[in-house]
Amino acid sequence: MPKKQPLLTALNILAAAGVLGALILILFFTPEEAQMGAVQKVFYFHVSSAWAGMLSFVIAAGAGALYLAKRELRWDWLSLASIEVGIMFGLAAILSGMIWAQPIWNTWWVWEPRLTTTAIMELIYLAYFILRGALNTPEAQARLGAVYAIVSVITVPLTFFSIRLYRTIHPVVFVSGGSTAFTMSPRMWTAFIVSLAAFTVLLAALIWNRTRLAALQSANAQEEN
Amino acid sequence: MNGFSNYLRMVWQVFRKDLQVEWRGRQGLPVMLIFALLVVFLFNFALQLTPGLQAGLAAGLLWVSLAFASTLGLNRSVSLEGENNALAGLLLAPVDRSAIFFGKTLSNLTFTFLVALVLLPVFSLFYQQNMLNPRLVLVILLGLGAYTSLGTLLAALSIQTRTRDVLLPVLLYPLALPVLIAAVEASRGVLAGQPLAELQSWLSLLIASNILFLAAGLLLFDTILEE
Repeated sequence: MPKKQPLLTALNILAAAGVLGALILILFFTPEEAQMGAVQKVFYFHVSSAWAGMLSFVIAAGAGALYLAKRELRWDWLSLASIEVGIMFGLAAILSGMIWAQPIWNTWWVWEPRLTTTAIMELIYLAYFILRGALNTPEAQARLGAVYAIVSVITVPLTFFSIRLYRTIHPVVFVSGGSTAFTMSPRMWTAFIVSLAAFTVLLAALIWNRTRLAALQSANAQEEN
Repeated sequence: MNGFSNYLRMVWQVFRKDLQVEWRGRQGLPVMLIFALLVVFLFNFALQLTPGLQAGLAAGLLWVSLAFASTLGLNRSVSLEGENNALAGLLLAPVDRSAIFFGKTLSNLTFTFLVALVLLPVFSLFYQQNMLNPRLVLVILLGLGAYTSLGTLLAALSIQTRTRDVLLPVLLYPLALPVLIAAVEASRGVLAGQPLAELQSWLSLLIASNILFLAAGLLLFDTILEE
């Protein structure tokens, strides 16, 4: 039996409490935005998921670099865990973005820079799993996975800037002319900051749990051999 | 200083060797060229293109066929070294392995650029638009430089997998997207008669990509080939 980790348990509880607290704040304490109404409340978790996804891919690249420097598999577990968790947050950001876009822009999908970059990012990191799956040894998976995670993180800002620049030249014509721009009241700010913090803690908890799972799987595989 | 000149010599030798293999076997470049032309024909009918094509469409078509065709060349450039243990010989050379990366990038760039030089008059003929424009050639060189340096890096990665070369497009296309956007936009601007100064942001993006991917190759290629 693997030993219990009280710190991890505490982090899990903190993450759950944080997300629940943020949800209560968003539902009951924030005002409804004048133009967009209730759907604007998607914004809090939408931006927080996008932030968590972005952060996890940066962590993955950092962990990959550490693996290449130290050659300890635990850095690879961290890198793998971050990418897996990051993909889920990226998906949450895309789906919540679509839910927001539908009533405001009257379409489920717009080729908007942030949304498009997130979608490309998902494709980039899905390929990471195909790459790992096609490699035979944990060492090769770790080494080439690290290289790929580092190269990927370099291109994400390039993708964002190129799409943004593209859109300033060829602006999207929105069907209903709506805009997601709005001014945030102090209460909105509070809920936003709490959401960001809660998702950051959630991200840490998920990555930690997933890293621990990888460590246990690796120990298990060694026992069987 | 001696070390650096050894390094440069290694880059040159890898480049020369690749050209020599291609010259004697002629197995890469013709395939790339015919494939690029086939893509043009395919897209012509798939998208119902007309001879008097807009600058934007012509630029897009040019880059799509270049991007697809160069994947073939990139895969061939690394799979070549797998035959008869040629890679082992390369790895024995007493210089940093990133020299192999620069040599291969250079040869891949040369092959893809030659394909582009053939496509330009063909496009001019098919779509009644003069594409033999020195500024367009400059844009193509910048775009292909970034594309092939990233491609060489990823081809060396994908060739080590069980699926071998099948994986390259899946790794390369999403990562090369900013390069392709910038290259298409800059080419479109040039064809529409815009001066290069107006396309500065796209050109800067291409130059930055070149630098970043070459630096990534310099730092990471040794790790990719390690066994």
